Amino acid sequence: MSAPGFFEADGRTMSRGTVLMLMGPFFALVIFVFLYPLGNLLSISVLEPQPTLEHYQRVVENPVYGRVLFRTLQIALLVGVLSLALSLPVAVLMANSRGPKAVFLTACILLPFWSSVLVRTAAWAILLQRNGIINQSLQFVGITDEPMTLLYTQGAVVIAMTHVLMPFMVLPIYGALRNIPADYGRAAAICGAGPLRSFWEVTLPLAMPGILGGFILVFLTALGYFITPALLGSPQEIMIATLISQQMRENLDWPFAAALVGVLTLIVTVITLAFSKVFRFDRMMGGRA
Amino acid sequence: MPREASPQTNGASIDIRALEKRFGNVRAVDDVSLTIDAGEFVALLGPSGSGKSTVLMSIAGFERPSAGHIIIDGEDCTRLPPHKRNIGMVFQHYTLFPHLSVADNVAFPLKMRGVPKAERRRQAEAALETVRLAGYGDRMPKQLSGGQQQRVALARAIVYRPRVLLMDEPLSALDKNLREEMQLEIKRLHSELGLTVVFVTHDQGEALTMADRIAILKAGKLQQVSPARELYERPSNLFSAGFIGEMNMLPVDWDGNRARLVEGEEIVLPDEARLAPVKPGRAVLAVRPERMSYTQAGTAGTWAATVRDVVYAGAGTLLITTLADGTEVRLRIPSAGLQPVSPGDRVGLSCPPDALLLYPQGDA
Repeated sequence: MSAPGFFEADGRTMSRGTVLMLMGPFFALVIFVFLYPLGNLLSISVLEPQPTLEHYQRVVENPVYGRVLFRTLQIALLVGVLSLALSLPVAVLMANSRGPKAVFLTACILLPFWSSVLVRTAAWAILLQRNGIINQSLQFVGITDEPMTLLYTQGAVVIAMTHVLMPFMVLPIYGALRNIPADYGRAAAICGAGPLRSFWEVTLPLAMPGILGGFILVFLTALGYFITPALLGSPQEIMIATLISQQMRENLDWPFAAALVGVLTLIVTVITLAFSKVFRFDRMMGGRA
Repeated sequence: MPREASPQTNGASIDIRALEKRFGNVRAVDDVSLTIDAGEFVALLGPSGSGKSTVLMSIAGFERPSAGHIIIDGEDCTRLPPHKRNIGMVFQHYTLFPHLSVADNVAFPLKMRGVPKAERRRQAEAALETVRLAGYGDRMPKQLSGGQQQRVALARAIVYRPRVLLMDEPLSALDKNLREEMQLEIKRLHSELGLTVVFVTHDQGEALTMADRIAILKAGKLQQVSPARELYERPSNLFSAGFIGEMNMLPVDWDGNRARLVEGEEIVLPDEARLAPVKPGRAVLAVRPERMSYTQAGTAGTWAATVRDVVYAGAGTLLITTLADGTEVRLRIPSAGLQPVSPGDRVGLSCPPDALLLYPQGDA
């Protein structure tokens, strides 16, 4: 059982030329709009004004920056867990739907993509503001006597980011669930597993690649998210992306901003590697077919 | 599974009563009633779309019948969900859980029943031994061949000693040699464990080899339920006659005593040739190719025919002949001692009277 080569797909071998043609545009894009600017930025962090590590030293030594980083990780984790909890039932429902119901559910998930993140974030600002509909309703029902501060809090950031990022969780999980043959569920049932047991013992482990994929996607996106925390978050409790933006645009301290980017990149890389090390998808599925 | 714990019959009886399943306007299963004895091996045989799988899925509980009842060992299970039926089942595509080892797959039903871990491990190993895969427990399903995977599926289905074992075309994904080996393996398990087996297949050879009785379905209706030999030698209607094995079907005029071939001879039929009353008029005379023989043309009591083709196929030779009106009659004759014959020869065909079967026309 030798691992299929890089140039093989479905057991068919593609010529090197075909592979280059298919992947060329993507690689070009990655190199020019991601790797090149990132490399540039990282070099600024250690080369300006002269070769130095002082910017990184600042990040490590000043506890304020550590707190921002820790808070960012906390919020991203919370958003990941929350959107997983909300997405799993939706994905299960979608995977078990057929016909018009399935179309309707998929439309509900994809509909937010039709509007920009900015619009969706602004919508939350309207809902959460002091005399917004949520505060008015709470007072009307009598739960609170006066408007609560909902906007410009970490709570607002978490809720809105969860909402914005949820499709990135739902879709991979849905895809994974959809790929599980119906016979597995039947086999589990005839073996004596009730619906919940069958879901826990069979469906969930088989959907794990999709679940982890979705989680990583949402968590890492949340880690570097800018618009939502900037618009809805508390100025006293900023996240890393806002901090980087401040350093660049307000303080014009590019080397220091670049050092923050370097630290964030390092964290993301470590987390990604750790995930792929701990959850060996291929091994979980019994080795490559 | 230790043998001493298996007395003669561990099986449950299955009583299918007036089962009906409609999908929209289509009746996938139409008034099927079938009583399966405890410990019996019954094959459901039919072309695709005949409803055989739907019947099986109703026994398993995956299909909710539109009408009728499924009674297992006297208990009405019609509305019981699958996980409460205590039935073992083997599926067409193995369906081993890919994230579990072979041993964990086999132990899965025990885990669902709250059996402690050590005991699970022991019983799973015993079940793997029964299907001759002892020592494979630590492998992952993907590391096994198709035949081995199906054996594991079998072990998983019998590990908790169900009284009924359902099989949904379990061998159709295997190649021919493996299939024959597995057929014998399943037969052995059936007699060893004494459980009731319901086996769905579209392969008549498989059904004839394995089953005590074969139920033939067509378009959702039960056609015949008989032991293999009876089914082959005395099919109860034209569909069964044509579906199982090869059959010559000759149009005849029937006057109540004699059948007259079109533009041909009159044949006196014994009463046994009719499985059901046949009204005088047009009818169909059926006879198996291997029951036919030929002699010199013009011999008294034979049907005049012309040889069109001689196909030598090892042990047997196929003779394709045509009667005066062009009706094709096939003969399968042992190659040893075959009289020299070649296309264009005129011959006289005959067969023993007990090989003749008469059916009403359009019965199929």
